[in-house]
Amino acid sequence: MLDEGFSGRPQQGSSRNRPHGNLNILRVSILLLFGILTVRLFYMQIISGADYARRSAENHIVTANILPTRGLITDRNGDLLVQNVADYTATLTPDFLPEDKDARYKIFLQLATLTGAQVLDIQTLVKNAEDDGVGFIPIPIKKHLTQDQAIMMEEASVDLPGVNLAVSPGRYYPGGDAFSHILGHIAAQDVTEVPALRKIGYAYDEPVGKDGLEDRYESELRGKLGYSRVEQDAEGHLINSLKTDDAVAGNSLKLAIDSGLQKYVAELLQESMHDTSGNWGDARVAAAVVMSPKTGEVYSMVSLPLYDNNIFAQTETRADEYKALALDNVRTPFLNHALSAAAPGSTFKLVTSAAALQNGNITPHTPWNVSSTRLEIKGENGVIYYLIDWRQHGLIDLYGAIQWSSNIYMEMASCGILGQVNGLGKDIETSAVILGNYARALGLGLPTGIDLYGESEGRIPDPAWKKRVTKDPNNWYYADTCFMGIGQGDVTSTPLQIARMTAAVANGGTLVTPHVVNEVVDPSGKTVRKVTTETKSVGINPDYLQVVRDGMHLSAQSGAGLKASQPGVDIAGKTGTAEFIEGGVTKQHAWFTGFAPFNDPDVVVTVYFDLGVGGDKAAPVAGKIIKYFEENVKH
Amino acid sequence: MSSVSSYGSGRTSPYAATRSGVFRGWDRFDYWIVLCALGLVAMGLLLIYSGSARTYNGPAASFANPVAKQVVFATIGFGAMLIVSKLDYHYLTHYSWLLYFTGLVALVAILIIGHTAFGSTRWFSVGPIQVQPSEFAKLATILTLARFFSEHGGDAKDLKTLVISLLIVAPVAGLVFIEPDLGTSLCFLAIWLGVVIVAGVSRGHLLVMGALFVAVLPFVWTFAIADYQVERVSVLVNPEEFPQDAGYNVIQSKIAVGSGQLTGKGLTNGAQTQLRYLKVPTKDFIFSVLGEELGFVGAMGLFTLFIILLMRGVRVAQIAGDTAGQLVAVGIVMLILSQTFINVAVNVSLFPVTGIPLPFVSQGGSSIVTLFIALGILQSIIMRHRAYRQT
Repeated sequence: MLDEGFSGRPQQGSSRNRPHGNLNILRVSILLLFGILTVRLFYMQIISGADYARRSAENHIVTANILPTRGLITDRNGDLLVQNVADYTATLTPDFLPEDKDARYKIFLQLATLTGAQVLDIQTLVKNAEDDGVGFIPIPIKKHLTQDQAIMMEEASVDLPGVNLAVSPGRYYPGGDAFSHILGHIAAQDVTEVPALRKIGYAYDEPVGKDGLEDRYESELRGKLGYSRVEQDAEGHLINSLKTDDAVAGNSLKLAIDSGLQKYVAELLQESMHDTSGNWGDARVAAAVVMSPKTGEVYSMVSLPLYDNNIFAQTETRADEYKALALDNVRTPFLNHALSAAAPGSTFKLVTSAAALQNGNITPHTPWNVSSTRLEIKGENGVIYYLIDWRQHGLIDLYGAIQWSSNIYMEMASCGILGQVNGLGKDIETSAVILGNYARALGLGLPTGIDLYGESEGRIPDPAWKKRVTKDPNNWYYADTCFMGIGQGDVTSTPLQIARMTAAVANGGTLVTPHVVNEVVDPSGKTVRKVTTETKSVGINPDYLQVVRDGMHLSAQSGAGLKASQPGVDIAGKTGTAEFIEGGVTKQHAWFTGFAPFNDPDVVVTVYFDLGVGGDKAAPVAGKIIKYFEENVKH
Repeated sequence: MSSVSSYGSGRTSPYAATRSGVFRGWDRFDYWIVLCALGLVAMGLLLIYSGSARTYNGPAASFANPVAKQVVFATIGFGAMLIVSKLDYHYLTHYSWLLYFTGLVALVAILIIGHTAFGSTRWFSVGPIQVQPSEFAKLATILTLARFFSEHGGDAKDLKTLVISLLIVAPVAGLVFIEPDLGTSLCFLAIWLGVVIVAGVSRGHLLVMGALFVAVLPFVWTFAIADYQVERVSVLVNPEEFPQDAGYNVIQSKIAVGSGQLTGKGLTNGAQTQLRYLKVPTKDFIFSVLGEELGFVGAMGLFTLFIILLMRGVRVAQIAGDTAGQLVAVGIVMLILSQTFINVAVNVSLFPVTGIPLPFVSQGGSSIVTLFIALGILQSIIMRHRAYRQT
């Protein structure tokens, strides 16, 4: 009865009320709309399905890099020179921050308190990231946190959404300042080197070696990157681990460096910087190289001023100190001065002597009377040259000339005395070319091939070069060749080059390739390879080199290098005092290069100070280094 | 039923004496409609289970369990459907204006005291249950439109009638629009359009109104549509430009649906769903779960159920005893069709993101109860068509 309950209700008239609508339009609409959806689904799931499936996998499968353990570095005795440590960075991911402004501010405030960062800076960083639409990338707020800060961060970050403690591999160098130039440091990749590093498989967060051995042996020390593939949900939580390729630790380096000697040399140079004579001022820069004349092993290489290479991991906490170092353009502390070129002065006379003997223009006993410290020579077109010597040597032969470091004798042997004696060649230009060839044969003007980046080639000038550079077709004069003969003028060499040249003299004519690293050792301790020296003959009769050695022996025993002598060690050496003009004032570099023991040399030492007199300043230092070596390093 | 029976007890009827009212008319009951709806609910339960598997791990028999909750509401809805089936739909059209104004008041009230989620205010809390008045307002509007046209000769040819019918829809659609709920307001428009077309609107009027609508659109775009809605449209065009913000849901739902390929990754195996890359996977984006886990085949199954259901709904309109019944049926078909289309279109990135549930499938009490009541009304219409014509 309910069904017809309204039958009694007045109707508007059944004919008008009879349904008359056309419903086919509805049927068509239903089929059409579902047809559209079906076509769309067919396109998405069947035609592009595989593509979306791939994107789905990319969505949740995250490949994380496992950074390898970097190889260690020890000195020749196995003393550890680096430690792997964790480098902590406080990061903030804007997307994980709460929306609420007050809640955000509280997090910023707490983060600032924990790390010492400024709230305003944090706010700016977050705002910039959000404006750029990269709020999902963690922003480093403070790098290189201390251990204590890191522990506090780790605990606090649990309650601070978005705040995280990122750990990246770092290095600590326990050896101190003396090793900074040799070891270098590691740092985050520079923006400019990222593309190249990506190509060879570097992860973006992998630190790379900068300077020194960390840079030169990067490929050995780095090891092999590992990967873990993990499944991750939309909030970034780890769901499960799919596959892991473990990282392979890098190889370690065993150096030729003796850390005791290295520290001793550094301290000694440091102490000797002060000018006791009062004539030249305190040295600003110094360098020393101690190497084996037989194997090319570099026992010690020191550059002053020293710096602490740990500072690169503490650039924020030691900002002022870092800035002072980086901006010091006079002393350039980050530069390895053992690999930087300066006028070698009289140490170059070893080259001149050997060249003249081999060339045959003098014999060991060719006499020359240096009766005045000033010899007046009438040169080309009537120009008057003055050849200056530092004292009246009287009648000397080559031995005496090396012993007393006579300029005029060496000029006689190289550029000749115009109108009296020919030099190395028939004219001054030929003489310069011949001398240049011998210098290069002894390794000057060329890279030494040491296993460190950044060494200077130095310069051995010749007439063609000078004319090209000065754009003057006549610009090579008598004085140019003479200056070359005594290691001045345009000649520059690095302390390492002088040491290598000295080694060739000491070992009887073999040019060795210096190397800082002795062995590359794999993580299990097995030697992967030994670094050996490459040798090459200098092409000079060993007898003539014996003459040069004899001259050096005399120098250290009773000549200009006397102050190098040490009781109980038979030292031979050569001083060098190179004049240069700086700011209109004539100044002098102090050099000494020598070897010991005289009869069977096993060590070469080259010492350089940018200001001073070779015999007074460099020679005693070299003597002490040799003494230390003979007593403490030699086996 | 007894109370309903007592309502009519004072009247006499030729059938009253011979057959009890409770058992009458079930032979005309459309079981296809019910089976399809139950099939959709069953699919929905599976998908809700899968979509909540990683977020809900309490006991199965708890009101906190979205699956259990949905079962409860589906049961309530089913019961309501049976009751409504037995109820003469003319009661409903009779009280349609009352229902309509109640709905309007509720929609106004919700703007003042309702809950806000995802930037829009759509429901009240009644104890643990959230009530969405817009769901009931849809039915009330359908009934009112049908009543209106039935009283005006079932004819929309008259321009005045057409405009008044539009004025019936406009307030509810407008209130829903400022909640804001663009999707639901479009559903109201679709319902109105379906009803007036079947009611015989003149083609000329429709064209003029369509032209007017197009002319007004730029102003709506500029002044009435919220920034986020503009953004959602831009996002649809180029979601990769907004990977973390507005484009997120678009990208993730596309990846979910697309990666399902032909047969899907299997229930509870969809990475997009299970690793929570999909937001609201049991509600607005439940179709993405289906697309990912059951694939193209599953989607076709779902479409088949909807198409049968809707075609049966059209059949109800076809054989309805009177204009009111026919237009109510048309309105209900349009309601289900428009909601389904918009929801799936959002999931497959054919339509800007707008929160609208997939009928019978999405989690949501108000929606499922309303839909079952709507089916009850369809049954009521079909169970009475012959009886009406006999008079």
